[in-house]
Amino acid sequence: MSDVIALSGVGRTFATDPPVPALVEVDLRITRGDYVSIIGPSGSGKSTLLNILGLLDLPDTGRYELEGVETTGLDDTARTALRGSRIGFVFQSFHLLAHRDVTDNVMLGELYTGAPRSGRGERAAAALDRVGMGHRRDFRPGRLSGGERQRVAIARALIGDPALLLCDEPTGNLDSVNTAAVLDLFEELRAGGTTLVVITHDEAVSARADRRVRITDGRLSELDSATVELPVLGATGGRA
Amino acid sequence: MRWLRRRGGTPAPASRLDLRDLVTEVLAGIGTRPARTALTILGTVLGIGTLVTTLGVSATAGNQIAGRFDSVTATEVAVEIPPRLTPDSPPTVPWAALGNLARLNGVDAVAAYSRTESGKEPSVRANTLRDPERVLDRALPVLGATTALPAAARTDVAVGRFFDDGHIARRDRVVVLGEQAAQLLGVTRIDNRPAVFIGGAPFTVIGILGPVRRADQQDLTGSAVIPWTTADDRLHLGPATTVIITTVLGAAPLIAGQAPIALSPNDPAAVRVEAPPDPAELRTGVAEDVSGLLLILGLVSLVVGALGIANVTLVTVMERTAEIGLRRALGARRRHIATQFLLESTAVGLLGGIIGASAGIIAVVVISVTRHWTPVLDAGLAGAAPLAGATVGLLAGLYPALRAARMQPVDALRGPA
Repeated sequence: MSDVIALSGVGRTFATDPPVPALVEVDLRITRGDYVSIIGPSGSGKSTLLNILGLLDLPDTGRYELEGVETTGLDDTARTALRGSRIGFVFQSFHLLAHRDVTDNVMLGELYTGAPRSGRGERAAAALDRVGMGHRRDFRPGRLSGGERQRVAIARALIGDPALLLCDEPTGNLDSVNTAAVLDLFEELRAGGTTLVVITHDEAVSARADRRVRITDGRLSELDSATVELPVLGATGGRA
Repeated sequence: MRWLRRRGGTPAPASRLDLRDLVTEVLAGIGTRPARTALTILGTVLGIGTLVTTLGVSATAGNQIAGRFDSVTATEVAVEIPPRLTPDSPPTVPWAALGNLARLNGVDAVAAYSRTESGKEPSVRANTLRDPERVLDRALPVLGATTALPAAARTDVAVGRFFDDGHIARRDRVVVLGEQAAQLLGVTRIDNRPAVFIGGAPFTVIGILGPVRRADQQDLTGSAVIPWTTADDRLHLGPATTVIITTVLGAAPLIAGQAPIALSPNDPAAVRVEAPPDPAELRTGVAEDVSGLLLILGLVSLVVGALGIANVTLVTVMERTAEIGLRRALGARRRHIATQFLLESTAVGLLGGIIGASAGIIAVVVISVTRHWTPVLDAGLAGAAPLAGATVGLLAGLYPALRAARMQPVDALRGPA
């Protein structure tokens, strides 16, 4: 299995007064098909790690290889291109365009990647079928439930066939039923070979991943998912 | 295009945005908030509309004034002759010199008259009765004129006739009254051969003039006109004080230049010519007068419209922070974001320009119809107005678009959608 992500010695310090070290000497390898959760409380450096993994921010030190491409030396244009074509983002608040229908929102996922216009509708339909939203193609996001909206957002992330699905608190705005549906979908996607990184503060969400990484004060530590040290909360379901 | 080498040799092309996709995104951006777009457009509509209306109406009005001017006033010339220094010196313009002027090509009619000085009008009365209840004596200006006066002053003899060369040669005591003068004196008919007394001497009324259609000769209507020879004899009016000329269309400037030489070859500068101004100058003058202030008003409206577009686009950018962040996460480059917002504001400006130009043209036509004018519309103006609107939108969108492009996707994405 080839590495999708290889972080080595990554550090990021914010130039405030006094300087805040958000990430310290982070090493992380994620291979193709992995389902990794990164868990930590707010202020632990989760967002910084997400921004660096998503090529939205640059580390001060260390190297970040995405599918073997060393990204820290790339200019903004090249990183934007990589971000658009290789990383699929899933956000806590979905970020769907309210005035566009579901298909338009999904097609937005490959607007900037240089993918041909022809067949875009079919690809969007296929992505919607993958997340089980094929029956809502012409709906506006306002008429969908939170879980349905997040599934549309996941379809948007999937349409470009990215190397990595980067999910930032994907269930943060969802109730327990919808959370369970989205987590079930993640498992289906992982079974289909998608590489998933889920960043969360929710132990129950984190527990669903194959591999768990805890981030505390900017430092990563692997958790053995087989020996979950925290009790799994009942309503959101235990291990599937 | 930049190609990146990845492991396995798969290249990742730089992000790009198809033009058709860009247009779709821009139209969707404008169309999602129709009410706001309409209000944003309003400023540009007002500005462009005012400009088009102003330019159109002033062009139309300028043409109308010049047209009316051409047909009447441009054919009228008057020559004022200053009085002699001493009664014995030779006249500046002898009566016989009138013939020189009448021969000129382009002259329709020439008449000369000598007029009693203002304040020294003789008393004119219709009879010798002494009625203590009525004022019968009227101090009226008396003109000693040549026979062509009705033609040169654009009037007609309403009743009776005008005097002819025979009356002048015989120095007859005949008088033709102006319309108002006849009313004042109570003379309404001439078949009973009424007489009026001018300076005590009886004159036979042989005619009454109708309305005077020449604007600079309205004095005629309140005057008594007698042969110039009789006037010289009885009232010592002397040589002509005024020569009035009507010309064929377009000849007035030429005749105005030639008249002093024809009338007073020895000293052309001694007479003063009143000729109509050059129609071309008049047209531009009128157009500038009418449009100057309104043009400023239109430009101010346009600036206000631009500020409106800039303001609303800026608000839109702030509102769509999350969307901008999302597009950046999806691979949009800064220039894609900037182009999208710039095109949105340009499209709003263009829309305002089109609506404003249409409204302006309709306004010009409506104003022309109510005034019975022929609307004059510059095709270039109708084409340039929407472009001006688009330019306004483009300029107004520059700053908001830059703000949008500079936004950090990191900050944009974690906020609420």
